[in-house]
Amino acid sequence: MTISTTPVPEPVVADRPPEPVRRPARHARLREWWLGAALVLPALALAVAFKLVPLGRGVATSLESSSGFDGTSFAGADNYVRMFDDPVVRSSFRNALLVVATLPVWVVLPLVLAVLIHQQAPGWKFFRAVYFIPYTVAPIVVGIMFRQILAPDGPINALLRRVGLEPLAIEWLNGRYSALFSLVAVALWSFFGLGVMTYLAGLATIPGETLEAAYLDGAGFWRRLFHVVVPMLRPTVAYWSVLCASGVLIWLFPLIYALTQGGPGDATMLPEYLVFLTTFQFLDRGYGSAIGIALFVFVAVLSIFSVRHMFTEGTRKPR
Amino acid sequence: MNRRTAARLGRYLLTFALVVVAVAAVYPLLFTVVSSLKTQAGFAEDPLGLPAGITLDNYLEAFRRMDMPRLLLNSLITTVGGLVLSVLAALLVAYAVTKLRFRGGKLVFLLIIVTLTIPSQAIIYPLYQTVLDLGMSGEYQGLILAYAAFGLPLGTYQLAGYFQQVPDELIEAARVDGAGHFTILFRLLAPIATPALAALAIFNFVWMWNDLLLPLVIMGGSDSKTLMVGVSLLSGQYDVSVPLVSAGLIVALLPVLVIYLVFQRQLVSGALAGSGK
Repeated sequence: MTISTTPVPEPVVADRPPEPVRRPARHARLREWWLGAALVLPALALAVAFKLVPLGRGVATSLESSSGFDGTSFAGADNYVRMFDDPVVRSSFRNALLVVATLPVWVVLPLVLAVLIHQQAPGWKFFRAVYFIPYTVAPIVVGIMFRQILAPDGPINALLRRVGLEPLAIEWLNGRYSALFSLVAVALWSFFGLGVMTYLAGLATIPGETLEAAYLDGAGFWRRLFHVVVPMLRPTVAYWSVLCASGVLIWLFPLIYALTQGGPGDATMLPEYLVFLTTFQFLDRGYGSAIGIALFVFVAVLSIFSVRHMFTEGTRKPR
Repeated sequence: MNRRTAARLGRYLLTFALVVVAVAAVYPLLFTVVSSLKTQAGFAEDPLGLPAGITLDNYLEAFRRMDMPRLLLNSLITTVGGLVLSVLAALLVAYAVTKLRFRGGKLVFLLIIVTLTIPSQAIIYPLYQTVLDLGMSGEYQGLILAYAAFGLPLGTYQLAGYFQQVPDELIEAARVDGAGHFTILFRLLAPIATPALAALAIFNFVWMWNDLLLPLVIMGGSDSKTLMVGVSLLSGQYDVSVPLVSAGLIVALLPVLVIYLVFQRQLVSGALAGSGK
């Protein structure tokens, strides 16, 4: 194959389709196949080496008993059986469920903001720019930042005291439920901008007149939102919901790392943090891998829907 | 209250809601900036108000203690490397599966986007083992290749979707005029996909620069550790001094923030164009 350096002809959009090209000879086809194979090779190598092989090894390790610096031995399903009786594992998945229960907020809040921006509320460009800023801040930075803000004498509590809500000025990161609540709130702060952007992209695909009619119509805002906008936006809403549902299982690691380290007790222990803790802190690699595989199964089940959507989108010919 | 006043009132309320969210989005950053400009004594006296006098000592101290230039360099090398490699690999795959007569292309495409379901958190130890076996632990290339692999599914998906929209007749016409495959890919298709490429580049830059788990495990405590790993050490080590920690945080978040603000328009148009199907 040669790299041609002839300048590209102006991409003229022909009025009539060009003459059909003669069916290429057999060997030309074969050459094209080899070229295709060569082109996908780097990507395949990356995907295999850094995703599929580690996944396979993870499964293998999860069947071993390997703790500390001792050797490993085959343990069958022991690690998985152990998970069911382990209170920490159970509370980590229960906490994950509690976080998933906040999903409606994750789905609706960015939607409302996106619709308000999309109907060009005053200063909408400014708001669109500002709302994405939190997402650009690294989660580990967000975590440390909010540890200062949620500190017992931090600005949040100072504000609450000043407006007379003294009883609400609690130790946010140190309560059984307040810690998990704070963690979710901080995560929401960090990710809602991505949701707004996603919805705006979805809204842009709907013809303007259709939406304008909905916006101007006399019906109340919430009714319009759920009866007109949401049905039209269904693919985007579905995509974002799935992303959030699988995301809460994997996005929170740096926040937990910086904010609570899973505590108090295991109030903010989530599977993604537990895998790290078990493997690298407690050096229980077999068990850590088993929890990791369980986490993978949960994430895969949730995100297989978005993969299906992506596959059809990526292989569909334009209309 | 007539209809018009009601409408106007509604508009005010709406703007007010948007403003409240904007304040919530920005306040934590402002608090951190303000704290970083206070002396330790000044912060202890008045943790919430504006500083009495502005000092940059915290920034100097953060640079000195954290070896900031080295951390910034490490982050830049690994982020740019991972970003370029993943976008390049995605471009090649997207071309092969959408524009070549390539049997098995769909299967390859599926295989690559399916890896999206494998989060780094779930396979972190075997991934670390693999990087170790390749002799790349603590090395730039280890993290770069891992970043490239994790950025691949989304990039492949977006570019394939984009290329799919380009009529095959256009490709045939270029080929008849003697254009080779690489000319078609880099001089014809890539320019058409610029909005998607720009959005992809910014998106990858943000997550690779900001990621903690991969560099934490692959780079560990080596000299090649990234800025975020360095920042994560802040959370335990000098916890007492909020102003100093704040200065470190601002330095860590500034590069991405600047890139975002500069390329904001491209990101928005790319995000909008990418889904315009």
